[in-house]
Amino acid sequence: MIDLTKLTIKQARSGLDGKTFSSLELTKSFFDKIKDADKKINAYISLTEGLALKQAEDADKMIARGEASILTGIPCAIKDNMMVEGEKCTAGSKFLADYTAPYDATVIKKLKDRGAVILGKTNMDEFAMGSSCEKSAFFPTKNPRDLDYVPGGSSGGSAAAVASDMCVFALGSDTGGSIRQPASFCGVTGLKPTYGTVSRYGLIAYASSLDQIGPFAKNSEDCKIIFNEIKGRDKMDSTSMDVMTHADDFNIKNLKIGLPKEYFGKGLDKEVERSVKDAIAFYEKQGAQIQEISLPHTPYALACYYIIAPAEASANLARFDGIRYGEMVAPEKTDDLIDFYLQNRSIGFGQEVKKRIMLGTYTLSAGYYDAYYKKALKVRTLIKKDFDKAYEQVDVIMGPTSPCLPFKIGEKMDDPLAMYLADIYTVSVNLAGLPGISIPIAEVNGLPVGLQIIAPTLEENRLFDIAESFEKNYN
Amino acid sequence: MISNDDVKKIAKLSYLKLNEEELQKMEKDFSSILDYVNKLSELDASKIEETANLSIDKNVFREDEPCDQNNEAILKLMPHTKNNYLEVKKILGK
Repeated sequence: MIDLTKLTIKQARSGLDGKTFSSLELTKSFFDKIKDADKKINAYISLTEGLALKQAEDADKMIARGEASILTGIPCAIKDNMMVEGEKCTAGSKFLADYTAPYDATVIKKLKDRGAVILGKTNMDEFAMGSSCEKSAFFPTKNPRDLDYVPGGSSGGSAAAVASDMCVFALGSDTGGSIRQPASFCGVTGLKPTYGTVSRYGLIAYASSLDQIGPFAKNSEDCKIIFNEIKGRDKMDSTSMDVMTHADDFNIKNLKIGLPKEYFGKGLDKEVERSVKDAIAFYEKQGAQIQEISLPHTPYALACYYIIAPAEASANLARFDGIRYGEMVAPEKTDDLIDFYLQNRSIGFGQEVKKRIMLGTYTLSAGYYDAYYKKALKVRTLIKKDFDKAYEQVDVIMGPTSPCLPFKIGEKMDDPLAMYLADIYTVSVNLAGLPGISIPIAEVNGLPVGLQIIAPTLEENRLFDIAESFEKNYN
Repeated sequence: MISNDDVKKIAKLSYLKLNEEELQKMEKDFSSILDYVNKLSELDASKIEETANLSIDKNVFREDEPCDQNNEAILKLMPHTKNNYLEVKKILGK
C-alpha cells in the first residue's frame, strides 16, 4: 500500500480520478498522520476535522459525477490568519483565542468552490510578526527535519505541515519573507506572488501594503496549480488585480540570471553560500548566462521594512480594544474607557506585537513622521527602482532565501535585531511587490537550504519553469 | 537614544500599559532598532517620490449595495451585546 500522505497534487489527483482511493480515505490518512506526528511538531493550532470529513464526502460525490477540478478532494492546511467560516481563527494571538470566523476569506471560498479539503489551521508568530514561529501566543512549532530547530516564520506551521506530510499543500502569508523563509528552513517550495494577484479579503492584516497570500507545496508544479486557483481580482479587495498570464516561451539557454553582489556579502553563512553557488552552477551548465548585478539600496531594505511594516501594523491592530474583539479578564475592574483599552491591550498582545505597535506609533507621530515614515516610503521607491534597472539586464535574480541555516529554538529570542536579520534577502521583494519563490536545493548537516528566485512583476510562470528545471534535472 | 520617559509616552500613545520590567526591555530593544533604522538618514531622498501602494494607481470604487452576511455569528463574537447592538462603555455624562 502506498503512503497516501506523500503524494503531490498531481499524484493525488490521478489516484482520486482513477478510483485507487477516495478523498475520504486520503483525508483520514492525513488525520492519522497528524494525530501521531503533530504531537512532536505542533504545526497545527486547531484541526477542522468535522469540516474536512464532510468536504471529503462531497468531493467524492463530485468526482463520481465527473465534476472534479484539479483541487477536488485534495487535503490542505491553512495558516491561522485566514478566515474559514465557523472555525476558530486566532492569528497566533491570545486576543483571538476564542474568535470564530464569521465568513470565508476569498482564498478559502475559492478552495471550497473547487472541492479542496481543509484539514486545519496552522501555527504562526502572533499576527505574523516573527521569523521563527516562537512568537505564537500558544506554543512554538518545531522543524520536522530536526526538532531542536525552528521551522522559520511567520508561516512556520504551514511549512512544517507540508514538510512532514501532514497535508498535501498549505497556504501562508508573506509580509517580509513569511512564506519563503520557512519554506527554506523546512525544505519545501514556497511562493510569494506579485502584490495584488491574490485577494487579501479575510486575511487578518499585518502590513496591508506588503501582505500577500501564497502557497507552500512539495514542488513548484503544485505551487503553480494552487496559485492559478487562488489568484484574480476580487471586489472585496480594491488592491487586487486580474493576472495576465504570459505565453510560455521559456528556454533556459536564453536565460539571463542576475546575482546581486549585495546578496553574497558579509553575514552570509559559508555553507549556505556554497549550496546556493552550486545551484547557480547547475543553471550555468544548462546554458544560462550568469551575470553579477547590483541592487545598491539593499543595505537599507531591512530598515525601510522595519519602519513601514510596524507603521501599518500600529493602525491595523488599533481595532483590538477588548470591546469589539476578545475581552481579556482585566486584573482591575474599571469604568474608565481608556484604562479599559490599556488593560485589554496590555494583556492581549505579546511582547513582539507591543514592540511593533510602539515602533509604528513612534514613526508616525508628530515630529517623526517625515524623518521616518515618509523617508521610508521614498527609500522604498529607490529599492523598487534598483529592481527595475536590474531587470533591464537580466530575466531573473537569484540568491539565498535566508542568510543562515535554521537556528535552534530559543537561540535568537532575546536579540531582536539578530531575528530581524533572518529576513534580509526577502524583505526587498515585498517592498517592491515582486514575485519570489524559495526552492529546496541542498542540506547541510540535515538542515535544508533554499534558493530564492525573484522575477519581475507578474512573471510567476517564469519562476515555476526555472524551479521545475532544477527539480527535474539536478542530481 | 531614547529615554525611559519617551518609552512611557509612546506606550501611552499606543494604548499600552507596560510594567517596569517591560519598560526596561522595551527601552533597550527600541534603542537598538532605532539605531538600526536610522541608517536611512545616510540617504538623500529629497527628490524621490514616495511609494505607498504597488498594485493600483487610482482609486477603486464600487456600488454600495447591501449584501447577505451572518449577523448572528458577528453578534455572537461581541463580548457584550444589548438588543442586538454592541454594548460599549459609557463615555459621556461623567
